[in-house]
Amino acid sequence: MSASEDLSDVERVLAGDIAAFEGIVLRWQGPLINLGYRFCQDRGRAEELAQEAFLRCYRALARWRRDAAFSTWLFALATNLYRTELRRIPPRTQSLDEIAEPADARVFDEGLEDKDRDLVVRRALVALPAKYREVLILFYFHDMDVAAAALSLGLPEGTIKARLFRGREILRSKLAQMLAAPRFKEA
Amino acid sequence: MKRRIGQDEDEIDRMLELQPRILPSAGFTSSLMKAIRLEAAAPPPILFPWKRALPGLAAGAFALALVVVVTVVAVRSSQPISAGSLSFSSFLSTVRIEERLQGAVSWTFLALVVTFLSVKLSMRLAASQA
Repeated sequence: MSASEDLSDVERVLAGDIAAFEGIVLRWQGPLINLGYRFCQDRGRAEELAQEAFLRCYRALARWRRDAAFSTWLFALATNLYRTELRRIPPRTQSLDEIAEPADARVFDEGLEDKDRDLVVRRALVALPAKYREVLILFYFHDMDVAAAALSLGLPEGTIKARLFRGREILRSKLAQMLAAPRFKEA
Repeated sequence: MKRRIGQDEDEIDRMLELQPRILPSAGFTSSLMKAIRLEAAAPPPILFPWKRALPGLAAGAFALALVVVVTVVAVRSSQPISAGSLSFSSFLSTVRIEERLQGAVSWTFLALVVTFLSVKLSMRLAASQA
């Protein structure tokens, strides 16, 4: 992903060459859809959110100040949209206490299959309170870069670190709880 | 020893980092570019006619200021007059002023309501045409 390619495409779009926007879409559609997917865990909705984010990006392109990287600006715009939209229509979630334990809890003890473990973690993540969930999603999406997550969320780095710590604590305690009290859902 | 996911910080990091990645569906780019072209071809939205609305807004602001002034004057004039300063002529003039002020307040309030309704109606009409 090249910042110079982004800059060049943005300038072409602003000069009236709409087709140049396709370059931006092709470079950033994967990250934006994946970011949306982490927020809602729904592929179709993630694509809808990404499409809306690109449309807003197109409308606001002239307002991008070159002092920040295009990607930073785009992620901040998309994150803002995703948060707003998901607060308006929340994704289907279960509360942390309602998350089903696996049918056979011995699987945890013997090491969960990666797929099952990922599913449990993802469900627990989606069920976190929004302010912790958003920070965790952005932190891991940005390869554990606090500064990048702070820019995307428009929050100070200190706040990100505090929410990150608390969010991980909640997540860890829930996962530990699930393991400490194994029970069988079905015989 | 049993394996405990929750006790291992690195394990949580690893699991959260390794969230599955999805690929855009086949028609995503084309449908998005279609939407972008439609957006580019669409006429610009009708802007709120500030120039035309300005006199009305100024009149509204003036009326609002007038209401505040009139209310303050009315409150002051309705304060009890001491027995020593009471005279028949001053009593009459106070009553007349109060009557006029009450009339002015009602008319001003009515004008404000009409202004507000007409602004809302024109905005709604403009929005429906956009």
